[in-house]
Amino acid sequence: MKDPFIKIENLTFAYTDEENGRNEVLKNLNLEIERGSLVAILGHNGSGKSTLAKLLNLILIPQSGKITIDGLDITSPDLTEEQLFENRRNIGMVFQNPDNQLVATIVEEDIAFGPENLGIEPKEIRKRVDDALATVGMTEFARHSPHQLSGGQKQRIAIAGIIAMMPKCIIFDESTAMLDPKGRREVMDTIIRLNREFGITILHITHYMNEAAQCDRVVVINEGEIELDGKPKDVFTHVEQLQKIGLDVPQTAELLYELNCAGIKNNGKPLPLGRLSVDECANEIMSLMESL
Amino acid sequence: MIKDITLGQYFPGNTVIHRLDPRAKIILTIMYIVVIFFAKNLWSFMLVVASALALVLISKISYKTLLKSMKPLIFVLAFTTFFNIFWTEGDVLLVSIWKIRIYLEGIVYAIMMIIRITALLIGTTIILTYTTSPIMLTDGLEQLLAPLRKIKLPVHEFSMMMTIALRFIPTLIEETDKIMSAQKARGADFTTGSLAKRAKALVPILIPLFISAFRRADELATAMECRCYHGGEGRTRMSILHCSFKDAAALLVMLLFGAGLIALNQLPCAISL
Amino acid sequence: MTEIELKNVSYVYSLDTPFMKTALDDVSLTIHGGVITGLMGHTGSGKSTLVQLLNGLNKPTSGQVFVGGEDIWADPKQVRKFAFKVGLVFQYPEYQLFEETVRKDIAFGPTNMELDESEIKRRVEESAEFCGIAPSLLEKSPFDLSGGQKRRVAIAGVMAMEPEVLVLDEPAAGLDPRGREEILGGIRDYQRRRGSSVVIVSHSMEDMARYSDEIIVMSHAKVYMQGTTAEIFERADELCAVGLSVPQITELMNTLRDRGLDVRRGIYTVDDAKAELLRLISAKRGAK
Repeated sequence: MKDPFIKIENLTFAYTDEENGRNEVLKNLNLEIERGSLVAILGHNGSGKSTLAKLLNLILIPQSGKITIDGLDITSPDLTEEQLFENRRNIGMVFQNPDNQLVATIVEEDIAFGPENLGIEPKEIRKRVDDALATVGMTEFARHSPHQLSGGQKQRIAIAGIIAMMPKCIIFDESTAMLDPKGRREVMDTIIRLNREFGITILHITHYMNEAAQCDRVVVINEGEIELDGKPKDVFTHVEQLQKIGLDVPQTAELLYELNCAGIKNNGKPLPLGRLSVDECANEIMSLMESL
Repeated sequence: MIKDITLGQYFPGNTVIHRLDPRAKIILTIMYIVVIFFAKNLWSFMLVVASALALVLISKISYKTLLKSMKPLIFVLAFTTFFNIFWTEGDVLLVSIWKIRIYLEGIVYAIMMIIRITALLIGTTIILTYTTSPIMLTDGLEQLLAPLRKIKLPVHEFSMMMTIALRFIPTLIEETDKIMSAQKARGADFTTGSLAKRAKALVPILIPLFISAFRRADELATAMECRCYHGGEGRTRMSILHCSFKDAAALLVMLLFGAGLIALNQLPCAISL
Repeated sequence: MTEIELKNVSYVYSLDTPFMKTALDDVSLTIHGGVITGLMGHTGSGKSTLVQLLNGLNKPTSGQVFVGGEDIWADPKQVRKFAFKVGLVFQYPEYQLFEETVRKDIAFGPTNMELDESEIKRRVEESAEFCGIAPSLLEKSPFDLSGGQKRRVAIAGVMAMEPEVLVLDEPAAGLDPRGREEILGGIRDYQRRRGSSVVIVSHSMEDMARYSDEIIVMSHAKVYMQGTTAEIFERADELCAVGLSVPQITELMNTLRDRGLDVRRGIYTVDDAKAELLRLISAKRGAK
């Protein structure tokens, strides 16, 4: 990889509790995330994907392994408090429940919360808040109270609160799971914009395969280990493997897979599975019908 | 429905009252409360009524909203009215049935108490809660109390707690509503039975509510940590409070109001406390 | 097989205040007995309000609600019995759990119905089974379970009241694909075995396509469409007009038809699509 922004080496993390003893959530994980990329982390509930997010900004501390972010070894025992906060500023986090991450009773005051913690000049905060609101398209709601907003809007405010801290990377920890389809689309569009227009590195943790399909790269995590890793159209060819670990594949890929299973061949060759869009899949089927 | 509670809600606006400095507003509210309690005779009470009406008109808060916010106080009002009417002794006896005697003074007292409590409510809600965003309010409080930091009082932490409480009140009210409905759908009955039975019926609401509040607190703490929150030290604020000419003028008006009221108290008047 | 009928039902929130909002506007509809009815619509279309009128939790501002032919507000004192006839599972129902053990929590509804011990026990165990809750979990604290398990306990708690109509608001919200399948599959098994009526509110076209027999689409406080699942998904354009979509597989079939392939209408699952394509392939091979 040319320029890894995040480099995870042999990372292991386990929760210990009295009843069940040691429960290993991440096992010897190795992963590199390229600067400026849009990566989906796909996995079912309890696969360890959310734990990974909390390790990256040291809300949790790994038992062993090394994490380097933007050239800084955050697992080093010599990490200073300043470096810790610098890392938290650098890696923004947006969580699942939109209600439980907004602190203030007025939208713009909430967005100011992060920059205020950083001790930034009031004038500069004002500017950042206005810019962040414009970026997520919520300027007209600046003086609203969060509880008057829809789920998707609240989540966009949470995103604005993060971008006002000017991070290089944002981790979305199942930020779309509690939203309706409209809210999900709003948030997904915002995520893609942040990546394409502002070059922010993005880790999007989700269990919606159609969201993963919109990313540059999909990393599938299962039982604390990396199961699959690659471009969406390559990852989603592994229909059987994904279904076995409880994940969906796009219906287009599933149909082509099912036809293959039924022994259908196009000029003696099995149908290619990496046809995720309706158009691509339709092309494939039309070419099959003409070959008969 | 519990959702209808408006006490402690903020109505955004752009009136003179909205634009006053929150610190000035806190001081103004305290002054207003004190002054109201100095009112003694009909003339000064008329001034109190006039001042309350003026506040309503200037703030552009609808009277419907105000009436609604009075609802929780109906019991208090009824209670004081009752006591004033039946327990005040005076010179002009109006009604006398068995042991109950009602004097004109009692009725006057009752009316004056109602005016006092209503003005108190209107004053505090309009000057403070309805026209000041809770953040500004806690900011103002934090700055007014800042000198107390010298004696190691956690002023910033206190105001942060206030902000979070205000932020989550609507959320938790909504949640209570939802849990109540859900338990009702499972046949829970909150409205019939003895007091003990009704108290017991609250368990299925309170336990989920507490659990959810703790979960929210936990998630919020993590989110705040991720946004680099580390207490009040080295923290700046986006909006800096400025005391301006308006605030000085408002204080002056309030002083004049107090002086006028005391002057009116001196006027001879047949009806007075 | 209990039917629910709404006649000219309107519901207005915060009547006579500045926040007044009409959530349902003169809605008349019939929810058929013995089938799974999917209730769809964007947020704010009135579907969640509708659901809370079915069991008498809220009273319509005007109009009547009939459950099994009975007007539920005929005698307001008797309305509570309809909470037992029409079981309602709210969104994120796991947040309503409160008892010490899973068994006691599932028993809360039946206990409120004042059934006898043995009947409660039977119902708890039966509904736990429908929801895929292992008997070993019954004596555990509900708060020690995983998110998906908690959800299933909460649903079992309503099923145990053995309502004639079971209504679920977004039962699979926030779950991963396997969790969705476990819950929705369990609900379908329950419906097929008991032959009762079920209403599922959902945003997911794919889930609705797989699990519902009939569909009602709400939009702007009114019923926008009603019909069998096949009938509804045939009208892709109308669905898109109110911000909904059709399953990707239906979109694919429509595209194929536009390109001249003679696929039949009303296909909305991968299995049906596969069968249809295989039929066309063998027909073409046979023609040669």
